[in-house]
Amino acid sequence: MYPPPKLSVIVPYYNEEDSIGAMYDAIVAAIGPLGISFEMVFVDDGSRDATAARAEELARRDPRVRLVKFRRNYGQTAAMAAGIEYATGEILVTMDGDLQNDPKDIEHFLAKMDEGYDLVVGWRHKRQDRLVSRKIPSKIANWLIGKVTGIPITDNGCSLKAFRASLIKNIPLYSEMHRFIPAMASIAGPRIAEIKVRHHARQFGQSKYGLSRIYKVLLDLMVIKTVASFTARPLLWFSMLCLPLALIGLVTLIGGLWMTLPDGGMSLPLTGSGIIFLSAVLTLLASGTLGELIYRLGDVRPENFARLTMKSTASRTPL
Amino acid sequence: MTTNADARSSISVIVPVGDRQTPIDRLFAEYESGVAALGMPYEFVFVLDGPHPSTESALVKLIAQGKPVTVVSLTRYFGEATALMIGFERAKGSIIVTLPAHLQVEGSEIGKLVAALDDAHMAVGYREPRASSWWMSLRQRAFHGLLKFVTRLSFHDLGCAVRALDRKVLEEVQLYGDQQRFLPLLAERQGFRVRQVPVRQSKDDRRDEMYRPRTYTRGFLDIFTVFFLVRFTKKPLRFFGMIGIATFSLGILELVYLIFERIYFHSPLADRPALLLASLLIVLGVQIFALGLLGELIIFTHAGGSKDYKVDRVIQYPEAADLIEPAHAPVAQSGGRFGVSFPVSG
Repeated sequence: MYPPPKLSVIVPYYNEEDSIGAMYDAIVAAIGPLGISFEMVFVDDGSRDATAARAEELARRDPRVRLVKFRRNYGQTAAMAAGIEYATGEILVTMDGDLQNDPKDIEHFLAKMDEGYDLVVGWRHKRQDRLVSRKIPSKIANWLIGKVTGIPITDNGCSLKAFRASLIKNIPLYSEMHRFIPAMASIAGPRIAEIKVRHHARQFGQSKYGLSRIYKVLLDLMVIKTVASFTARPLLWFSMLCLPLALIGLVTLIGGLWMTLPDGGMSLPLTGSGIIFLSAVLTLLASGTLGELIYRLGDVRPENFARLTMKSTASRTPL
Repeated sequence: MTTNADARSSISVIVPVGDRQTPIDRLFAEYESGVAALGMPYEFVFVLDGPHPSTESALVKLIAQGKPVTVVSLTRYFGEATALMIGFERAKGSIIVTLPAHLQVEGSEIGKLVAALDDAHMAVGYREPRASSWWMSLRQRAFHGLLKFVTRLSFHDLGCAVRALDRKVLEEVQLYGDQQRFLPLLAERQGFRVRQVPVRQSKDDRRDEMYRPRTYTRGFLDIFTVFFLVRFTKKPLRFFGMIGIATFSLGILELVYLIFERIYFHSPLADRPALLLASLLIVLGVQIFALGLLGELIIFTHAGGSKDYKVDRVIQYPEAADLIEPAHAPVAQSGGRFGVSFPVSG
């Protein structure tokens, strides 16, 4: 068995037959001179062109290349997750397979990790993309993600990131959460740093996403908020959802009881609405309790997250 | 790709036995002649879904005659898919053939399906030409049309229980209840290549069946289940959120309209039942949304157990295979969860 390398570079790609060779050369040229042990994990996300064959050729030439092949296209999050799962290094660096990130930046990421950060996020400060369809939506999304998760990161969409393996391997990544890896990781309270990275315009092929993701991003944010607040105070989040309903309910109910109609009767619709809102508060709280039950029975333990990033120092006096 | 012409491949035939059945001697003779013609070693696994004493004794008689038959009996009805999975646990062959307990197709057609496995992971039969009444074909068309609309995958005849598949398909696709019909669909979702092969319908099958209304309800619910399985298992909030937001917005719109009327047309708000409807819709929307959040919480807390993706192969030269296991971080729970080995070339 080989000793695990210090660094794993994870590159998911989908139909990148033109870039894959150049990508490999660039990584080797950038990391080779640093003199550390490293491996490359290429994840083939069900490519239909010659990419897989070319990657296999690379693997044949270089034992540092590990190729993980999907049977069909599962999407970028799944590819990232698989790369993370099959990487053996202490530090994992993820990057795009389309040459938009520059492997020369990895050096700076490693330096930051050595300073003691658990998670280093890239920031494409001179982003080579279209303004209206790419940059502005992503600005809004990043602002929103920062607000919701409490971790202001300038550029969540940048794939170039470095993680401590022990941290990221224990964060569940599913659905389309790759955009929110720092937010998901925030559950563990990692030390996060941001550095500027170079960003190249696409050399080959077409960019693979468009503008129509707002609904998904918003819902995913909601999910992250939910799971993140559950790790700390399970019922709190559902109680927060209840708060506006409870307020409306109380006001309407009291208003309905207090007010009398011209014919002397009580306002039934108003009182009724109040009761409806208040009963919804009860069911929501019940859901929150159910959520807590689910959480306790699941395999995600808040203590585990605490352990991921903790540091301990103890006096050397033995007991 | 699978190399079925290989001398090592063998066939396990799984027959779930439910209420509808052909006398077992005739069934076995027909199927056995079809399977034996392929010239590969074979075995039959009959799973009796609920008590069928006469069938069981007939099968035991076959075993006494020295036929390669395994019989598994369940104490009550568990559903055909469960029976299939139980049969699969006993099956040793590299190729699995599933056949219904009533003679749906002629035994000689089995060979076609097995041959189709040469360039696919799974082959499903469809009865062509098919004899059926207008009512039945209407029902068929409605079912498959709805399914295609929901899943965007097109199949001719999911009711045909004659299938041949590579062992690893059943290792990866989990079925239960009545989901056996959707096996090709779920396999395709897992990235397996599924081929449809026309098979000749047997004479026994050419009679109409009248189903009870309950069967239709169940069929419809099945479609709903598959819809959910295929589209939203990993993102319940997308589904519940959509319904919740729609309901909520409807309520808010109505409320805004009522308030508008109150302010500009002075129609009193407090004695209008429409206000009740608006509040109900708003509240319902929030609750449905909260259900979606609960669903997400379930997924999140169990995400470790059910991964989104299936790795086909891991390729690395010239390292030993032990390196290719998924690497674990020190803190991860070390269960046997990842105890799957992948084929490694080199």
